[in-house]
Amino acid sequence: MRIIARFEKGGHARFLSHLDVLRMFHRAFRRAGIPISYSEGFNPHPLLSFAAALAVGYTSESEWLDAKLERDIEISEFMRSLNDSLPCGFRLTQCFAAEERLPSLTKLMCAAEYIISLSYNEREFPSKLETAAEKLMSNNIFVKKRSKSGFKIVDIRPLVYDIHVETLGEGEIALSVTGCLNSSESLNIGLLLDSLFQIAGKPETVFVHRRRIYSDDGTILPKFGG
Amino acid sequence: MDENILNRMLGAVEKPARYSGAELNMIKKKDAAVKFALCFPDIYEIGMSHLGSRILYHIINKREDALCERVFAPWPDMEEQLRRNSVSLFTLESKRPLREFDIIGFSLLYELCYTNILTVLELAGIPAYSGERGEDMPLIICGGTCAVNPEPVADFMDAVLIGDGEEMVGEVLDAYNKAKAKGLGKQKILLELSRIEGVYVPSFYKPVYSEDGLYKGIIKIIGEAPDKIKRRVVKDLDKAEYIGKPIVPYLPIVHDRIAVEVFRGCTRGCRFCQAGYIYRPLRERKRETVIKLANELIDCTGYDEISLFSLSTGDYSEFHELVPELLDMFEDKRVSLSLPSLRIDSSVKKDLERMRSVRKAGLTFAPEAGTQRMRDVINKGVTEEDLLKRAEEAFESGWNSLKLYFMIGLPGETERDLLGIADLARKVSDAYYSMPKEKRDKGLRLSVSASTFVPKPFTPFQWEPQNTPDEIKQKQQFLKSALKGIRGVEFSYHGSESSILEAVFSRGDRRLSRLLLTAHENGCRFDSWTEHFNFGAWIKAFEECEIAPSLYANRRRDIDEPLPWDHIDALVSKEYLKREYKKSREAKKTADCRKGCNGCFGEHCADYCKI
Repeated sequence: MRIIARFEKGGHARFLSHLDVLRMFHRAFRRAGIPISYSEGFNPHPLLSFAAALAVGYTSESEWLDAKLERDIEISEFMRSLNDSLPCGFRLTQCFAAEERLPSLTKLMCAAEYIISLSYNEREFPSKLETAAEKLMSNNIFVKKRSKSGFKIVDIRPLVYDIHVETLGEGEIALSVTGCLNSSESLNIGLLLDSLFQIAGKPETVFVHRRRIYSDDGTILPKFGG
Repeated sequence: MDENILNRMLGAVEKPARYSGAELNMIKKKDAAVKFALCFPDIYEIGMSHLGSRILYHIINKREDALCERVFAPWPDMEEQLRRNSVSLFTLESKRPLREFDIIGFSLLYELCYTNILTVLELAGIPAYSGERGEDMPLIICGGTCAVNPEPVADFMDAVLIGDGEEMVGEVLDAYNKAKAKGLGKQKILLELSRIEGVYVPSFYKPVYSEDGLYKGIIKIIGEAPDKIKRRVVKDLDKAEYIGKPIVPYLPIVHDRIAVEVFRGCTRGCRFCQAGYIYRPLRERKRETVIKLANELIDCTGYDEISLFSLSTGDYSEFHELVPELLDMFEDKRVSLSLPSLRIDSSVKKDLERMRSVRKAGLTFAPEAGTQRMRDVINKGVTEEDLLKRAEEAFESGWNSLKLYFMIGLPGETERDLLGIADLARKVSDAYYSMPKEKRDKGLRLSVSASTFVPKPFTPFQWEPQNTPDEIKQKQQFLKSALKGIRGVEFSYHGSESSILEAVFSRGDRRLSRLLLTAHENGCRFDSWTEHFNFGAWIKAFEECEIAPSLYANRRRDIDEPLPWDHIDALVSKEYLKREYKKSREAKKTADCRKGCNGCFGEHCADYCKI
């Protein structure tokens, strides 16, 4: 049986790497007594995968896992028992039984939306940020990207679909960013923020939160632009 | 602590999960009468692999009147964050600053972590010297393997717990609580602690040295303190507390599996091995207990690997019943079993074959020396025949990767002994390649590793000199060229410079406390990490303190010379060690004590040993 589930990653769990999360889920499945299938071969590994890695330090309400089980299980039972076994910071919020022939989550996804909460002292920061966002969106956004052979300059503007600013309260501002996320390329939020802060100045604190991962047509993942 | 500052610091370091805590099964209590911070003075990934700390964490937290939280040595990137943000070092559980704890306990497992103790104290805003800490400061204590010679760190410690901690730590907490309730000051509290068997209060004793710089002995300055501090022993290991519901780390730690300690102590008597003497007598957990623990631990953690832990697991009296039982039990659950510390002479072929069917793990053999003569000197009772037979069995069972551990710089070592290592490696390699091609699985990976012999207190070699760094380097190069051209061999060895530090501290005296502080001030930390080890800074510290490392490391000590750890009674008698020392010099073996008592405990025998 194939199950796809959406989960949250919050609190101090945001400091865990993608591999840490994979290991954690593997153990949580075992504690919950949910029989996950293993690959064939010399070093069998559990058939458990995720839509997209989340950068260390970010939180999310929309992470997705895809698991193959050895036997069928009630979806509600799956969700309850796995939730009981998860450490704090993780929680499943949606579970679906998925057809075997459905493509992998990585192939389904096309975009992601992030909420970036910023706190600042300088009064002009929100307006500067808004100006910076407008400026970046109407031009190229050249960033220095680390590659195998040192650094290279790339334009990430085509990967940014939308930026808009929402004021939260005194000294706090939220930025909504939607960008490309698929199996071959993705918007690097860290690099985009660096470009923004180069123009607008650095805020006091920065929190990045993934709100959605989209698919083109609304298969499992919410529909992009829908 | 300010959540924003914490997040900013954690966001700026390489592995924030080393400090963020909140792992499954972590225990976080609001408050308790005694707050105990347990510090393993190395990084999280190493400290969380230490079984002793796990046991203490469980035992202390089980008490209603106490809480125990963890802290590790912060990696230099975190140290920089703490300094830059003026944040005092904190525990993983509550993020409380260390200074707010009543007791801070350090685990001393190897000498090269000593400078990290000083980093931790400094980052906690706690003076290093016990004499400079006032009544408002936490009690600083330590325990662990290295505590059998506590003198090098004696000036920093209020008390040292020598031996098994399971029962002792509870008694320390009881005495501390009682003394606090009575409103006693630090000095009086320490006096109460010194009445507990196994507890050493360094400030109650003063070492004396001769004019030529040799250690002469120790004088008691508080009359009520014991003359000798007897190592503590948990007599019934089977009934002793274990690790409860252990924390499941998110980070991949060094020993990332469930470990069940099947016995403590070892009867083999390898003369270089400190653990072989200071964990005597042999005490086993019953097979039922091991099975019960294994099941419980797998269920509450979700781990898929379990290891049977001890100094020589093949010696477990019911090994051949236990291993198949565990394999049967865990096969469906996809739990694999690993057996570290298997001796070459334990006949494990059948078990190995079955283990491999669950998952493929590496095999390690430790002949320790290259010739039979040398192995007799160190009393490692294995033969070349044993090794080759086991290697062949392993190859036939489908293994193609094997590790061989050796030591160089052993007492009386000659070129022939070094050549013997290469010879042994060649024979193992030949054994692999003489198998029919279709039976072999790819190429052989034979890793040969040579560590440097470090003489340790409470072993028959405690009087032996260590080779000088130059001699060690020469031997390493000699061995390297001797191993050249042997198919499948990968050779690795340790830095000779850190080995000399180990030798200095393992048999050091109290004058080394000042050396440690000087080295710490010179920037030394994480000395067991090659990327941080700074021998130049150590040399400078030796010079500044006018201490010659060779006095500690490279000198044969006179058999009647007072030793800095003579006031510690590790139970194995000095007379016995002297006998063994003499036998080693005649290359005479001593039999495993299960084959007949060798009298190692002397006067303590009837009280401690049941073999």
